[in-house]
Amino acid sequence: MQQDATKERAEFDREFVDAFRRPVSQGNWVRDINPLIAFLVLGCLAIIPIWIEGLIAPLAMCAAFVAISLLAGVGRHFIPGYLKLFLAVGLILFVLRAAFEPGDLVLFRLGPLSPTWEGVQSGARFALVVMVLCGALTLYAALIPAKYLMLALEQQGLTPRATYVLLTSFQAITDLAKNVRVVMDAQKSRGIETEGSILTRSKAFFPIIAPAFLAAMNQTEERAVALDARAFSSKAPHTRLVSLRGPRPWEFGLLLVAVAGVVVSIMGAYLSWP
Amino acid sequence: MSQDNTFSKTMQGYGRLTIFMIPIGIAINFVGGQFALLLKLPVYLDSIGTILVGATCGGLPGALVGAVSNVLNSITSPPTMVFGILSIMFGLLAGWLAKRGVFTSLTMTLLSAIPFAFIGGVLGALLTIWVFGGLAVGGGALVVGALTAAGFDINTANFLAQVPMDVLDKVPTVLVVYAILKGMPKRLFAKLPLGYIYLDKRSATTAAQKPTA
Repeated sequence: MQQDATKERAEFDREFVDAFRRPVSQGNWVRDINPLIAFLVLGCLAIIPIWIEGLIAPLAMCAAFVAISLLAGVGRHFIPGYLKLFLAVGLILFVLRAAFEPGDLVLFRLGPLSPTWEGVQSGARFALVVMVLCGALTLYAALIPAKYLMLALEQQGLTPRATYVLLTSFQAITDLAKNVRVVMDAQKSRGIETEGSILTRSKAFFPIIAPAFLAAMNQTEERAVALDARAFSSKAPHTRLVSLRGPRPWEFGLLLVAVAGVVVSIMGAYLSWP
Repeated sequence: MSQDNTFSKTMQGYGRLTIFMIPIGIAINFVGGQFALLLKLPVYLDSIGTILVGATCGGLPGALVGAVSNVLNSITSPPTMVFGILSIMFGLLAGWLAKRGVFTSLTMTLLSAIPFAFIGGVLGALLTIWVFGGLAVGGGALVVGALTAAGFDINTANFLAQVPMDVLDKVPTVLVVYAILKGMPKRLFAKLPLGYIYLDKRSATTAAQKPTA
Protein backbone atom coordinates (compact mmCIF):
# COMPACT_ATOMS: atom_id res chain seq x y z
CA MET A 1 0.00 0.00 0.00
CA GLN A 2 2.70 2.38 1.05
CA GLN A 3 4.77 1.37 -1.91
CA ASP A 4 1.91 2.37 -4.21
CA ALA A 5 1.70 5.76 -2.57
CA THR A 6 5.43 6.34 -2.98
CA LYS A 7 5.23 5.28 -6.59
CA GLU A 8 2.34 7.63 -7.24
CA ARG A 9 4.22 10.41 -5.53
CA ALA A 10 7.31 9.79 -7.64
CA GLU A 11 5.16 9.82 -10.77
CA PHE A 12 3.60 13.11 -9.73
CA ASP A 13 7.00 14.63 -8.98
CA ARG A 14 8.34 13.59 -12.36
CA GLU A 15 5.33 15.08 -14.10
CA PHE A 16 5.76 18.29 -12.14
CA VAL A 17 9.43 18.53 -13.04
CA ASP A 18 8.75 17.61 -16.67
CA ALA A 19 6.26 20.46 -16.91
CA PHE A 20 9.18 22.86 -16.51
CA ARG A 21 11.27 21.10 -19.14
CA ARG A 22 8.63 21.46 -21.83
CA PRO A 23 8.02 24.81 -23.52
CA VAL A 24 5.11 26.55 -21.89
CA SER A 25 1.68 26.15 -23.54
CA GLN A 26 -1.61 27.91 -22.99
CA GLY A 27 -3.57 24.99 -24.42
CA ASN A 28 -4.74 26.72 -27.59
CA TRP A 29 -2.95 26.96 -30.93
CA VAL A 30 -3.72 30.66 -31.44
CA ARG A 31 -2.54 31.63 -27.99
CA ASP A 32 0.57 29.50 -28.42
CA ILE A 33 1.80 31.58 -31.35
CA ASN A 34 5.12 33.17 -30.49
CA PRO A 35 4.38 36.45 -28.60
CA LEU A 36 6.55 38.59 -30.89
CA ILE A 37 5.06 37.15 -34.09
CA ALA A 38 1.55 37.60 -32.69
CA PHE A 39 2.43 41.22 -31.91
CA LEU A 40 3.68 41.91 -35.42
CA VAL A 41 0.75 40.15 -37.10
CA LEU A 42 -1.85 42.04 -35.07
CA GLY A 43 0.11 45.26 -35.64
CA CYS A 44 -0.06 44.71 -39.41
CA LEU A 45 -3.79 43.91 -39.26
CA ALA A 46 -4.40 47.05 -37.20
CA ILE A 47 -2.84 49.42 -39.72
CA ILE A 48 -4.23 47.90 -42.94
CA PRO A 49 -7.60 49.83 -42.74
CA ILE A 50 -5.74 53.15 -42.54
CA TRP A 51 -4.97 52.93 -46.25
CA ILE A 52 -8.29 51.54 -47.41
CA GLU A 53 -10.97 54.19 -47.78
CA GLY A 54 -14.53 53.75 -46.58
CA LEU A 55 -16.05 52.05 -43.60
CA ILE A 56 -16.02 48.44 -44.78
CA ALA A 57 -12.34 47.71 -44.19
CA PRO A 58 -12.23 48.87 -40.52
CA LEU A 59 -15.57 47.15 -39.82
CA ALA A 60 -14.31 43.91 -41.35
CA MET A 61 -11.14 44.15 -39.26
CA CYS A 62 -13.13 44.60 -36.05
CA ALA A 63 -15.13 41.50 -36.99
CA ALA A 64 -11.88 39.65 -37.72
CA PHE A 65 -10.61 40.47 -34.22
CA VAL A 66 -13.80 39.05 -32.72
CA ALA A 67 -13.36 35.91 -34.84
CA ILE A 68 -9.72 35.53 -33.73
CA SER A 69 -10.74 35.91 -30.10
CA LEU A 70 -13.34 33.14 -30.53
CA LEU A 71 -10.78 30.88 -32.22
CA ALA A 72 -8.38 31.48 -29.36
CA GLY A 73 -11.05 30.75 -26.78
CA VAL A 74 -10.82 34.21 -25.17
CA GLY A 75 -14.03 35.53 -26.73
CA ARG A 76 -15.93 35.60 -23.48
CA HIS A 77 -13.26 37.80 -22.00
CA PHE A 78 -12.49 39.95 -25.04
CA ILE A 79 -15.90 40.67 -26.64
CA PRO A 80 -17.67 42.37 -23.68
CA GLY A 81 -14.59 44.52 -23.03
CA TYR A 82 -14.33 45.46 -26.69
CA LEU A 83 -18.02 46.40 -26.83
CA LYS A 84 -17.52 48.60 -23.77
CA LEU A 85 -14.64 50.34 -25.54
CA PHE A 86 -16.86 50.88 -28.57
CA LEU A 87 -19.35 52.66 -26.35
CA ALA A 88 -16.84 54.55 -24.17
CA VAL A 89 -14.27 55.59 -26.78
CA GLY A 90 -15.71 54.93 -30.23
CA LEU A 91 -19.10 56.51 -29.65
CA ILE A 92 -17.61 59.66 -28.12
CA LEU A 93 -15.13 60.03 -30.98
CA PHE A 94 -17.94 59.61 -33.48
CA VAL A 95 -20.40 61.98 -31.78
CA LEU A 96 -17.78 64.72 -31.32
CA ARG A 97 -16.79 64.71 -34.97
CA ALA A 98 -20.32 64.27 -36.22
CA ALA A 99 -21.55 67.17 -34.12
CA PHE A 100 -18.80 69.71 -34.60
CA GLU A 101 -17.10 69.05 -37.93
CA PRO A 102 -18.07 71.72 -40.47
CA GLY A 103 -19.61 70.67 -43.78
CA ASP A 104 -22.10 71.70 -46.48
CA LEU A 105 -24.92 69.23 -46.04
CA VAL A 106 -26.55 70.03 -42.68
CA LEU A 107 -28.63 67.11 -41.41
CA PHE A 108 -30.58 68.89 -38.66
CA ARG A 109 -30.21 71.73 -36.19
CA LEU A 110 -30.33 71.34 -32.44
CA GLY A 111 -29.62 74.58 -30.61
CA PRO A 112 -26.12 75.69 -31.59
CA LEU A 113 -25.31 72.25 -33.07
CA SER A 114 -25.66 71.52 -36.74
CA PRO A 115 -24.36 68.05 -37.58
CA THR A 116 -23.40 67.63 -41.21
CA TRP A 117 -23.30 64.57 -43.46
CA GLU A 118 -19.56 65.14 -43.97
CA GLY A 119 -19.08 65.22 -40.20
CA VAL A 120 -21.00 61.98 -39.71
CA GLN A 121 -18.96 60.27 -42.42
CA SER A 122 -15.56 61.43 -41.22
CA GLY A 123 -16.60 60.77 -37.61
CA ALA A 124 -17.61 57.19 -38.35
CA ARG A 125 -14.41 56.55 -40.29
CA PHE A 126 -12.14 58.10 -37.64
CA ALA A 127 -13.91 56.30 -34.78
CA LEU A 128 -13.74 52.94 -36.58
CA VAL A 129 -10.05 53.27 -37.48
CA VAL A 130 -9.28 54.10 -33.84
CA MET A 131 -11.42 51.16 -32.70
CA VAL A 132 -9.39 48.84 -34.95
CA LEU A 133 -6.19 49.98 -33.21
CA CYS A 134 -7.96 49.60 -29.85
CA GLY A 135 -9.13 46.12 -30.81
CA ALA A 136 -5.66 44.96 -31.85
CA LEU A 137 -4.17 46.12 -28.53
CA THR A 138 -6.88 44.67 -26.29
CA LEU A 139 -6.96 41.43 -28.27
CA TYR A 140 -3.21 41.10 -27.87
CA ALA A 141 -3.52 41.70 -24.12
CA ALA A 142 -6.21 38.98 -24.00
CA LEU A 143 -4.18 36.51 -26.07
CA ILE A 144 -0.71 36.79 -24.60
CA PRO A 145 0.00 37.20 -20.89
CA ALA A 146 2.43 40.05 -20.31
CA LYS A 147 4.98 37.71 -18.74
CA TYR A 148 5.28 35.62 -21.91
CA LEU A 149 5.83 38.73 -24.03
CA MET A 150 8.55 39.83 -21.60
CA LEU A 151 10.11 36.37 -21.74
CA ALA A 152 10.13 36.51 -25.53
CA LEU A 153 11.76 39.94 -25.40
CA GLU A 154 14.36 38.69 -22.92
CA GLN A 155 15.18 35.82 -25.26
CA GLN A 156 15.74 38.41 -27.98
CA GLY A 157 18.36 40.01 -25.74
CA LEU A 158 16.41 42.63 -23.82
CA THR A 159 17.84 43.09 -20.34
CA PRO A 160 15.87 41.64 -17.39
CA ARG A 161 15.98 45.11 -15.84
CA ALA A 162 13.74 46.49 -18.59
CA THR A 163 11.31 43.57 -18.47
CA TYR A 164 11.25 43.84 -14.67
CA VAL A 165 10.20 47.49 -14.91
CA LEU A 166 7.32 46.66 -17.23
CA LEU A 167 6.07 43.58 -15.37
CA THR A 168 6.32 45.21 -11.96
CA SER A 169 4.41 48.23 -13.22
CA PHE A 170 1.31 46.10 -13.76
CA GLN A 171 1.65 44.57 -10.31
CA ALA A 172 2.40 47.95 -8.71
CA ILE A 173 -0.76 49.47 -10.21
CA THR A 174 -2.95 46.76 -8.63
CA ASP A 175 -1.12 46.98 -5.31
CA LEU A 176 -1.22 50.75 -5.14
CA ALA A 177 -4.89 50.92 -6.10
CA LYS A 178 -5.63 48.51 -3.26
CA ASN A 179 -3.54 50.60 -0.89
CA VAL A 180 -5.33 53.81 -1.88
CA ARG A 181 -8.65 52.15 -1.07
CA VAL A 182 -7.38 51.11 2.35
CA VAL A 183 -6.14 54.63 3.11
CA MET A 184 -9.41 56.06 1.80
CA ASP A 185 -11.46 53.86 4.14
CA ALA A 186 -9.19 54.76 7.04
CA GLN A 187 -9.47 58.48 6.37
CA LYS A 188 -13.23 58.21 5.87
CA SER A 189 -13.55 56.62 9.30
CA ARG A 190 -11.68 59.60 10.69
CA GLY A 191 -14.23 61.95 9.20
CA ILE A 192 -12.79 62.95 5.82
CA GLU A 193 -15.60 63.27 3.31
CA THR A 194 -15.16 61.90 -0.20
CA GLU A 195 -18.56 62.94 -1.45
CA GLY A 196 -20.40 66.23 -1.69
CA SER A 197 -19.42 69.51 -3.33
CA ILE A 198 -16.36 69.74 -5.53
CA LEU A 199 -14.50 71.61 -2.77
CA THR A 200 -15.18 68.84 -0.24
CA ARG A 201 -14.05 66.21 -2.70
CA SER A 202 -10.85 68.03 -3.59
CA LYS A 203 -10.07 68.45 0.10
CA ALA A 204 -10.17 64.66 0.43
CA PHE A 205 -7.54 64.25 -2.28
CA PHE A 206 -4.39 65.17 -0.35
CA PRO A 207 -4.89 63.21 2.88
CA ILE A 208 -5.61 60.06 0.91
CA ILE A 209 -3.17 60.22 -1.95
CA ALA A 210 -0.11 61.53 -0.10
CA PRO A 211 0.19 58.74 2.53
CA ALA A 212 -0.53 56.01 -0.01
CA PHE A 213 2.07 57.27 -2.49
CA LEU A 214 4.61 57.91 0.22
CA ALA A 215 4.25 54.33 1.46
CA ALA A 216 4.73 53.09 -2.11
CA MET A 217 7.96 55.08 -2.46
CA ASN A 218 9.25 53.66 0.82
CA GLN A 219 8.54 50.11 -0.31
CA THR A 220 10.98 50.40 -3.20
CA GLU A 221 13.83 49.92 -0.78
CA GLU A 222 12.42 46.62 0.46
CA ARG A 223 11.88 45.47 -3.10
CA ALA A 224 15.46 46.30 -3.97
CA VAL A 225 16.74 44.24 -1.04
CA ALA A 226 14.42 41.33 -1.86
CA LEU A 227 15.58 41.24 -5.47
CA ASP A 228 19.22 41.61 -4.54
CA ALA A 229 18.83 38.57 -2.30
CA ARG A 230 17.76 36.68 -5.43
CA ALA A 231 20.85 37.86 -7.32
CA PHE A 232 18.85 40.11 -9.63
CA SER A 233 21.78 42.47 -10.13
CA SER A 234 24.22 39.63 -10.76
CA LYS A 235 26.11 39.84 -14.04
CA ALA A 236 25.79 36.10 -14.66
CA PRO A 237 23.09 34.98 -17.12
CA HIS A 238 19.70 34.59 -15.44
CA THR A 239 17.89 31.26 -15.30
CA ARG A 240 14.14 30.89 -15.85
CA LEU A 241 11.47 28.46 -14.76
CA VAL A 242 9.58 28.62 -18.05
CA SER A 243 10.76 28.48 -21.64
CA LEU A 244 8.95 29.52 -24.79
CA ARG A 245 8.62 27.44 -27.92
CA GLY A 246 10.52 28.95 -30.84
CA PRO A 247 8.37 30.27 -33.69
CA ARG A 248 7.21 27.50 -36.03
CA PRO A 249 7.47 27.84 -39.84
CA TRP A 250 3.73 28.43 -40.35
CA GLU A 251 3.90 31.33 -37.92
CA PHE A 252 6.45 33.02 -40.17
CA GLY A 253 4.08 32.31 -43.08
CA LEU A 254 1.30 34.07 -41.19
CA LEU A 255 3.54 37.07 -40.60
CA LEU A 256 4.47 37.14 -44.28
CA VAL A 257 0.79 37.21 -45.27
CA ALA A 258 0.09 40.04 -42.82
CA VAL A 259 3.02 42.11 -44.09
CA ALA A 260 1.91 41.46 -47.66
CA GLY A 261 -1.54 42.74 -46.69
CA VAL A 262 -0.04 46.02 -45.48
CA VAL A 263 2.08 46.40 -48.63
CA VAL A 264 -0.89 45.70 -50.90
CA SER A 265 -3.15 48.17 -49.07
CA ILE A 266 -0.50 50.92 -49.20
CA MET A 267 0.17 50.28 -52.90
CA GLY A 268 -3.58 50.22 -53.53
CA ALA A 269 -3.93 53.61 -51.85
CA TYR A 270 -1.17 55.19 -53.95
CA LEU A 271 -2.21 53.63 -57.24
CA SER A 272 -5.83 54.70 -56.86
CA TRP A 273 -4.81 58.32 -56.36
CA PRO A 274 -6.14 60.58 -59.08
CA MET B 1 23.04 42.37 -26.64
CA SER B 2 24.22 45.93 -27.31
CA GLN B 3 20.78 47.12 -26.26
CA ASP B 4 21.23 45.27 -23.01
CA ASN B 5 24.50 47.00 -22.30
CA THR B 6 23.36 50.52 -23.10
CA PHE B 7 20.22 50.20 -20.97
CA SER B 8 22.16 48.71 -18.06
CA LYS B 9 24.92 51.31 -18.31
CA THR B 10 22.49 54.21 -18.49
CA MET B 11 20.60 52.88 -15.50
CA GLN B 12 23.76 52.17 -13.52
CA GLY B 13 24.64 55.83 -13.74
CA TYR B 14 21.42 56.53 -11.87
CA GLY B 15 22.05 54.20 -8.95
CA ARG B 16 20.33 50.97 -8.13
CA LEU B 17 17.15 52.23 -6.56
CA THR B 18 16.11 54.13 -9.70
CA ILE B 19 15.12 50.93 -11.47
CA PHE B 20 12.73 50.16 -8.61
CA MET B 21 11.33 53.69 -8.53
CA ILE B 22 10.20 53.59 -12.17
CA PRO B 23 7.37 51.02 -11.72
CA ILE B 24 6.20 52.88 -8.61
CA GLY B 25 6.15 56.13 -10.58
CA ILE B 26 4.09 54.46 -13.30
CA ALA B 27 1.65 53.09 -10.72
CA ILE B 28 1.37 56.52 -9.07
CA ASN B 29 0.52 58.11 -12.44
CA PHE B 30 -2.12 55.52 -13.13
CA VAL B 31 -3.69 55.39 -9.68
CA GLY B 32 -3.60 59.19 -9.32
CA GLY B 33 -5.59 59.51 -12.53
CA GLN B 34 -8.03 56.80 -11.45
CA PHE B 35 -8.48 58.43 -8.06
CA ALA B 36 -9.23 61.81 -9.61
CA LEU B 37 -11.92 60.07 -11.66
CA LEU B 38 -13.26 58.32 -8.56
CA LEU B 39 -13.62 61.62 -6.70
CA LYS B 40 -15.08 63.11 -9.90
CA LEU B 41 -12.53 65.93 -9.85
CA PRO B 42 -12.29 67.92 -13.11
CA VAL B 43 -8.52 67.31 -13.38
CA TYR B 44 -6.31 64.52 -14.77
CA LEU B 45 -3.69 64.23 -11.99
CA ASP B 46 -1.98 61.55 -14.05
CA SER B 47 1.54 62.95 -14.06
CA ILE B 48 2.36 62.91 -10.34
CA GLY B 49 4.59 59.86 -10.71
CA THR B 50 6.41 61.28 -13.74
CA ILE B 51 7.27 64.50 -11.91
CA LEU B 52 8.07 62.69 -8.67
CA VAL B 53 10.53 60.30 -10.30
CA GLY B 54 11.96 63.16 -12.37
CA ALA B 55 12.48 65.16 -9.17
CA THR B 56 14.13 62.34 -7.22
CA CYS B 57 15.93 60.27 -9.84
CA GLY B 58 16.57 62.66 -12.72
CA GLY B 59 15.05 63.69 -16.01
CA LEU B 60 15.68 60.51 -17.97
CA PRO B 61 14.04 58.10 -15.50
CA GLY B 62 11.19 60.60 -15.20
CA ALA B 63 10.77 60.65 -18.97
CA LEU B 64 10.80 56.85 -18.99
CA VAL B 65 7.99 56.80 -16.41
CA GLY B 66 6.00 59.22 -18.56
CA ALA B 67 6.57 57.20 -21.72
CA VAL B 68 5.65 53.81 -20.23
CA SER B 69 2.58 55.23 -18.45
CA ASN B 70 1.45 56.64 -21.74
CA VAL B 71 1.86 53.33 -23.55
CA LEU B 72 -0.15 51.57 -20.83
CA ASN B 73 -2.89 54.18 -21.08
CA SER B 74 -3.08 53.88 -24.84
CA ILE B 75 -3.99 50.19 -24.59
CA THR B 76 -7.56 51.25 -23.88
CA SER B 77 -7.43 54.60 -25.70
CA PRO B 78 -4.97 54.70 -28.62
CA PRO B 79 -5.39 58.47 -29.32
CA THR B 80 -3.61 59.10 -25.98
CA MET B 81 -0.39 57.81 -27.55
CA VAL B 82 0.08 61.10 -29.39
CA PHE B 83 0.38 62.93 -26.09
CA GLY B 84 3.23 60.68 -24.94
CA ILE B 85 5.71 63.34 -25.98
CA LEU B 86 4.20 65.65 -23.35
CA SER B 87 4.68 63.05 -20.60
CA ILE B 88 8.30 62.63 -21.66
CA MET B 89 8.81 66.39 -21.49
CA PHE B 90 7.22 66.54 -18.01
CA GLY B 91 9.78 64.01 -16.78
CA LEU B 92 12.75 65.82 -18.34
CA LEU B 93 11.56 69.19 -17.06
CA ALA B 94 11.04 67.80 -13.54
CA GLY B 95 14.64 66.54 -13.49
CA TRP B 96 15.97 69.86 -14.78
CA LEU B 97 13.96 71.88 -12.24
CA ALA B 98 14.91 69.55 -9.38
CA LYS B 99 18.61 70.06 -10.10
CA ARG B 100 18.01 73.78 -9.64
CA GLY B 101 16.46 73.12 -6.23
CA VAL B 102 12.98 74.15 -7.29
CA PHE B 103 11.20 71.42 -5.35
CA THR B 104 12.88 72.36 -2.06
CA SER B 105 10.71 75.44 -1.51
CA LEU B 106 6.94 75.62 -1.59
CA THR B 107 6.78 78.89 -3.51
CA MET B 108 9.15 77.69 -6.21
CA THR B 109 7.25 74.40 -6.44
CA LEU B 110 3.98 76.27 -6.95
CA LEU B 111 5.63 78.44 -9.61
CA SER B 112 6.89 75.31 -11.38
CA ALA B 113 3.26 74.54 -12.21
CA ILE B 114 3.51 77.29 -14.84
CA PRO B 115 6.06 75.60 -17.13
CA PHE B 116 4.34 72.24 -16.64
CA ALA B 117 0.98 73.73 -17.53
CA PHE B 118 2.59 75.48 -20.49
CA ILE B 119 3.78 72.15 -21.86
CA GLY B 120 0.51 70.39 -21.08
CA GLY B 121 -1.79 73.18 -22.22
CA VAL B 122 -0.10 74.93 -25.11
CA LEU B 123 1.77 71.97 -26.61
CA GLY B 124 -1.21 69.73 -25.86
CA ALA B 125 -3.51 72.09 -27.72
CA LEU B 126 -1.06 72.31 -30.64
CA LEU B 127 -0.84 68.52 -30.85
CA THR B 128 -4.63 68.21 -30.75
CA ILE B 129 -4.90 70.70 -33.61
CA TRP B 130 -2.15 69.10 -35.71
CA VAL B 131 -2.99 65.46 -35.20
CA PHE B 132 -6.74 65.36 -34.60
CA GLY B 133 -7.78 68.54 -36.36
CA GLY B 134 -8.85 70.02 -33.02
CA LEU B 135 -11.05 67.30 -31.58
CA ALA B 136 -9.33 64.60 -29.56
CA VAL B 137 -10.82 62.49 -26.76
CA GLY B 138 -11.97 63.05 -23.21
CA GLY B 139 -13.69 65.81 -21.32
CA GLY B 140 -11.52 68.50 -22.89
CA ALA B 141 -12.91 67.71 -26.33
CA LEU B 142 -16.45 68.34 -25.12
CA VAL B 143 -15.44 71.81 -23.92
CA VAL B 144 -13.71 72.47 -27.24
CA GLY B 145 -16.81 71.34 -29.07
CA ALA B 146 -19.02 73.59 -26.95
CA LEU B 147 -16.71 76.56 -27.56
CA THR B 148 -16.71 76.04 -31.33
CA ALA B 149 -20.48 75.79 -31.24
CA ALA B 150 -20.48 79.09 -29.32
CA GLY B 151 -18.68 80.72 -32.22
CA PHE B 152 -14.93 80.41 -31.49
CA ASP B 153 -12.73 79.00 -34.22
CA ILE B 154 -11.31 75.58 -33.44
CA ASN B 155 -7.73 76.74 -32.71
CA THR B 156 -8.77 79.43 -30.22
CA ALA B 157 -11.23 77.01 -28.65
CA ASN B 158 -8.45 74.48 -28.06
CA PHE B 159 -6.20 76.95 -26.29
CA LEU B 160 -9.10 78.41 -24.30
CA ALA B 161 -10.13 74.95 -23.11
CA GLN B 162 -6.76 73.34 -22.50
CA VAL B 163 -4.55 76.01 -20.91
CA PRO B 164 -6.78 76.79 -17.87
CA MET B 165 -7.52 73.08 -17.46
CA ASP B 166 -3.84 72.30 -17.35
CA VAL B 167 -3.08 75.02 -14.81
CA LEU B 168 -5.87 73.57 -12.67
CA ASP B 169 -4.29 70.15 -13.09
CA LYS B 170 -0.65 70.97 -12.49
CA VAL B 171 -1.04 73.03 -9.28
CA PRO B 172 -2.37 70.08 -7.22
CA THR B 173 0.06 67.78 -9.01
CA VAL B 174 3.16 69.72 -7.94
CA LEU B 175 1.67 70.18 -4.46
CA VAL B 176 1.33 66.41 -4.03
CA VAL B 177 4.90 66.01 -5.28
CA TYR B 178 6.07 68.57 -2.74
CA ALA B 179 4.14 66.88 0.09
CA ILE B 180 5.62 63.48 -0.76
CA LEU B 181 9.15 64.89 -1.01
CA LYS B 182 8.65 66.51 2.42
CA GLY B 183 7.53 63.22 3.92
CA MET B 184 10.19 61.01 2.39
CA PRO B 185 12.70 59.60 4.92
CA LYS B 186 16.32 60.76 4.73
CA ARG B 187 17.56 57.21 4.34
CA LEU B 188 15.64 56.88 1.07
CA PHE B 189 16.97 60.18 -0.26
CA ALA B 190 20.50 58.99 0.45
CA LYS B 191 20.02 56.23 -2.12
CA LEU B 192 18.37 58.30 -4.84
CA PRO B 193 20.39 60.07 -7.53
CA LEU B 194 19.00 63.55 -6.84
CA GLY B 195 18.41 62.91 -3.14
CA TYR B 196 21.40 65.06 -2.21
CA ILE B 197 19.47 68.19 -3.18
CA TYR B 198 16.84 67.53 -0.55
CA LEU B 199 19.34 66.26 2.03
CA ASP B 200 21.47 69.41 1.66
CA LYS B 201 18.41 71.53 2.10
CA ARG B 202 17.32 69.64 5.21
CA SER B 203 20.73 69.72 6.85
CA ALA B 204 20.92 73.44 6.04
CA THR B 205 17.60 74.14 7.75
CA THR B 206 18.41 72.01 10.79
CA ALA B 207 21.81 73.73 11.07
CA ALA B 208 20.13 77.10 10.90
CA GLN B 209 17.59 76.08 13.53
CA LYS B 210 20.14 74.71 15.97
CA PRO B 211 21.46 78.00 17.44
CA THR B 212 17.95 79.19 18.25
CA ALA B 213 16.93 75.89 19.82
